[in-house]
Amino acid sequence: MEQNNVAVKISQLSKTIKHKQLLKPLNYQLSKSKILALCGGNGAGKSTLIRLIIGLTKATTGSVTVNGLSKRKNKEQFLKQIGYMPDNFHFQKSMTTKETIKFYARIKKVSEASYKEVLKTVGLFDRMNEKVGNFSKGMTQRLLLAQALLSEPSLLVLDEPTNGLDPYWIKQFCKLLIKAKENQQTVIFSTHDLHVAEKIADEVIFLHDGKVMSKGPINNYQKDGLYETFQQIYFDSLHNEEQTNVTLVSSTHLS
Amino acid sequence: MRILTVAVREIKLGFRNFWTYSFLILLTIFTIAILLLHSSVATVQGYTDMTGTVINITLYLLPLITLLLGSFSVAVEKEDGQWRLLSTYPITVYAFLWGKWLGLTTIIMTMIFFSFGFAGLIMVIFGQAISIQTFIFFWLFSTILAIVYLSIALLIGSVVKDRWQSLIGGITVWFITIVIWPLLMISILGNLPSYKLIQPTLQGLTLLNPAEFVRIFSIMRLGAGTTFGAEYDQWITWATSHYGLLIFFGLLISLILISIFVGGLIWNWSDKHGAK
Repeated sequence: MEQNNVAVKISQLSKTIKHKQLLKPLNYQLSKSKILALCGGNGAGKSTLIRLIIGLTKATTGSVTVNGLSKRKNKEQFLKQIGYMPDNFHFQKSMTTKETIKFYARIKKVSEASYKEVLKTVGLFDRMNEKVGNFSKGMTQRLLLAQALLSEPSLLVLDEPTNGLDPYWIKQFCKLLIKAKENQQTVIFSTHDLHVAEKIADEVIFLHDGKVMSKGPINNYQKDGLYETFQQIYFDSLHNEEQTNVTLVSSTHLS
Repeated sequence: MRILTVAVREIKLGFRNFWTYSFLILLTIFTIAILLLHSSVATVQGYTDMTGTVINITLYLLPLITLLLGSFSVAVEKEDGQWRLLSTYPITVYAFLWGKWLGLTTIIMTMIFFSFGFAGLIMVIFGQAISIQTFIFFWLFSTILAIVYLSIALLIGSVVKDRWQSLIGGITVWFITIVIWPLLMISILGNLPSYKLIQPTLQGLTLLNPAEFVRIFSIMRLGAGTTFGAEYDQWITWATSHYGLLIFFGLLISLILISIFVGGLIWNWSDKHGAK
């Protein structure tokens, strides 16, 4: 892969907390204008990897560069390239949609016309004066996505973006990411929804228990399908864990 | 610019917060009570025993309100993930903290202004006499006290992770600086190895506690330093000196700057080294 075409370069990236390895060493390169889906069950390490990529969590080993910049060396420039959508987030309930997005837009120095355009994109323009506290989960997700889209960052990092979205908005979300890709933006998103991953991702990383079980271009999975691959990886791992537990229990009993 | 953006958001959030109004009602009732209390001896200008009592009562309530409002405001940002998102934006911890300070100062000053204004109005309507100087003195005393404690509240908010920790932190600071401070001073001064150390230690301790230096400065500027005892009055000479006002504001600004600086330093450190 040509180095100046690399959007995200992950080298020997790992995270350990109190002897528990949340992410085992990972090497990966993602080209510009590509969509990478991070798939895996609960506690697989998707959010940990996302936080490590954008530098919210300090890596135990390894490094990440985005368009050749590392957060450690050039924090402001590094952050300007990123639009992040967190999981499990609560907006200030007493603020309206407009006040909320305006706050984030001002910090990013984005014009009023731009943030209004973003609100139209996520379908919240007509709800500008509604309090965020009255929003459903899906609407909150859309507002979260809106703040990530501000300033058209070259890398979008989205943690479980389709959580709580209805089928119509999942479809819109897919269209939006494809449009972002066409606009030369690179996207990394985590999801449980393999149909979404299959539909829009160029590359996939399967995680289980902090370990990369499988990774590569989406074409590699076309033969078996993503769902079957995931099932195989996920259930095989659970089965192996059960086997280990049974063996441990048996040996304890025997001893 | 970013500081102002944070400050404007803080003001909006503050004035939509249920607790702001609860504290405002409490503060207004309290202000009416202390001014009524003081008006009973209003014919006497300057410092009276009642002035001292009113100052002490103010010292009990206002720092606690400020500590809780300020530290909660920062702790909530951490607990709800607001800061996690903001830390992916081009904004520094310091810009965020100064924005918070500016916004919260506006809210608290408005609260004090309203409570004193309302209390003053009540006093005029019911014909209770209180000199305008005394009124302005209490207002200024309360405002300065609140501003100082607000910076400490932001320091607490920077250190803690959630609301519970900020509650414990706020009450601990209030308890140490307000409730048990005299006992602490007596026990420290009583255990000094040499008599010569008493004066510098006393001076140092006075400057360490914001409530103490605001209280002492205010009372001494009213010409009532002898109420602390003859020796104390002779030792704590800075307040009545030619540069008293300059020293006082120097201390005030230093305390605000140090609190925000240390708060930002700890916050940055925990962001870099935090587990999550």
